[in-house]
Amino acid sequence: MPKIVPRPELTFWESIYFVEIFKGLGTTFRHAFKTLTKPESLPTLMYPEVQPDIPRDYRSRHRLMKRPDGAPRCVACFMCSTACPALCINIVAEESTDRHIEKRPKQFDIDLLLCVFCGFCVEACPCDAIRMDTKIAILAADSRAAFVIDKTQLLDWQPQDYPATDIQSQKAPGGSLHAEALAAFQAGDHH
Amino acid sequence: MDSATLIISALKLLLVFTPFIIMPFLVLLERRGAAAIQDRPGPNRAAITLPGGLRIRGFGMIYNLTDGIKVFFKQSLVPPFVNKWFFIMAPTIPVMTAVLTPALIPWFGPVTYQAGDIVRTTTGSWLDANSGLLALFALGSLSVYGVVLGSWASNSKYSLLGGMRASAMMISYEVSMGLSILGLFLLIGSFSLTDAVNWQSNHAWGVVVQPIGFFLFLVAMFAETNRNPFDVAEGESELVAGFHTEYGGAKFALFMLGEYCHIVIASALLAVLFFGGYDLLPFDLSFAGRVDWLPHGPYDQAFILGHLGPVLGILLAVIGLLFLGFQWLLAKRSRLYASFAASDKKTRVREYSVFRAIFGLGGLALLVGAVASWMFLAPKPVQTNPEVYALLPTIIAALIQFGVVLAKTLFFCWLFVWVRWTLPRFRYDQIMALGWKWLLNIGLINLLLTAVIAKLVRS
Repeated sequence: MPKIVPRPELTFWESIYFVEIFKGLGTTFRHAFKTLTKPESLPTLMYPEVQPDIPRDYRSRHRLMKRPDGAPRCVACFMCSTACPALCINIVAEESTDRHIEKRPKQFDIDLLLCVFCGFCVEACPCDAIRMDTKIAILAADSRAAFVIDKTQLLDWQPQDYPATDIQSQKAPGGSLHAEALAAFQAGDHH
Repeated sequence: MDSATLIISALKLLLVFTPFIIMPFLVLLERRGAAAIQDRPGPNRAAITLPGGLRIRGFGMIYNLTDGIKVFFKQSLVPPFVNKWFFIMAPTIPVMTAVLTPALIPWFGPVTYQAGDIVRTTTGSWLDANSGLLALFALGSLSVYGVVLGSWASNSKYSLLGGMRASAMMISYEVSMGLSILGLFLLIGSFSLTDAVNWQSNHAWGVVVQPIGFFLFLVAMFAETNRNPFDVAEGESELVAGFHTEYGGAKFALFMLGEYCHIVIASALLAVLFFGGYDLLPFDLSFAGRVDWLPHGPYDQAFILGHLGPVLGILLAVIGLLFLGFQWLLAKRSRLYASFAASDKKTRVREYSVFRAIFGLGGLALLVGAVASWMFLAPKPVQTNPEVYALLPTIIAALIQFGVVLAKTLFFCWLFVWVRWTLPRFRYDQIMALGWKWLLNIGLINLLLTAVIAKLVRS
């Protein structure tokens, strides 16, 4: 059953157009006046001098989480690359030197030009090794190859840029920032 | 030729270039006005960094500079398929009319001055012929030849369609333009624009006696200048860019220059014909002598010279208050920007403070000058019957009148911008219907009514 949208009938004053011109002029003048006298009412952000406030759960560029010794927390299980709808994650696994861990990524590449920033990789990861909370929303590079970021770039982040309340995200080299995190790790929770 | 005549002639020659002086401000007004209407901050990026590290953005004025540089250093491309000579010649025609037409507009009232021993009178327009308005229309309508010639020489379908639309629209609206003005000139009885302003200052402003004529003329002017809602000649939604599709670089800039100058001239014409030109006030303050402590009109050159101190004082005070108001707006913006976590907070706030100092101190200086001129400026005529003043007060009075015309012109420039960003573009057939079925007939009826009423009143 098609829905019929009734066309509003023009009244006499609307149909002669003349009065409506002045109404329109009034509307635009109101906007102009407001912009001039109330600059704070403008929604425009003076980018790039003023940066937008990106919330922590905004899905931005990925990062790989680290173990206390600085190695990636990733166990190369391919869950993320399997979940990825854009097929942008390329992992090459190798045998881990740690006897408690079976595998580790030899290579972990994300093609940011393919990535659709859906966050499925983060959801899929069984050991919270990949996150998308870097707040890096602007990706710029001068070649296509430079948009493919590797393990080093993904591991390159500073613990102080992340909230101190989130213990997991603070498991930086040495784990010295949070004794609880270190203790949790030493208690045998290797993930 | 004596020195007084020489000085006044030189000043008059300068006034002829008024549209070119207003044009950068008009472009800025267009950009800023569009931005303000659309709730945007407007152009605020281009800047010149002075040696001291001061970054001057000049309210977007730098954009004009960068546009000029860009446009004149671009490759001057002449496509291989065009008719080369006409293609190059076409953009010069609108500019030519823009140079010629201001010579016919009275920028100030007739000036009486002493040249040696003889008393001379000269009008405020470079050329004050009896045929003033007719010559102005004749020259102003020439600019459409640039559009048509350019579109034809471009040898492109889009251009040709744009040019055809422009010429058809010109033919349609020129008729109602002429008719709309006839009623007014029936009352004035002369085609001289100086006479028109004098009549208005002695009777009433044109918009009061001919409101319908004013509206028709306004609409015709919008059509004449190819502005929205009548800019189908450009019609980028269907014709790429209309008549200037094949143009780029300096030649395109000349078209734009001509168009904007045309807007300034149209605005000046509206001010002169319907808003009293250089006449100070629309009505007699003293109500024909009934309120005797207020000065009696008409407020012409003689009145300004007789009350030079107070008149100049009031005008300076108005400008000074506008300056202070602008300073207040700048202060608001400066405070707002300082409240952001901006990386260039320091440089911007510094720029704001420079402009705030200029406009704040300038406003205060103008207010002081206003008080001073009210109290101390009272020139005595060097010769009575006819009253002739020294050269300096005469020139000041003429400049006051020029300022009044300029203010009215700028108001109409703003109206052009305002309407452009309010109304959507008419469809081509709507334009034709409006022109032939409505404006022409309303113009005819208006003329008839004016003639009958004028006859009844006079007899």
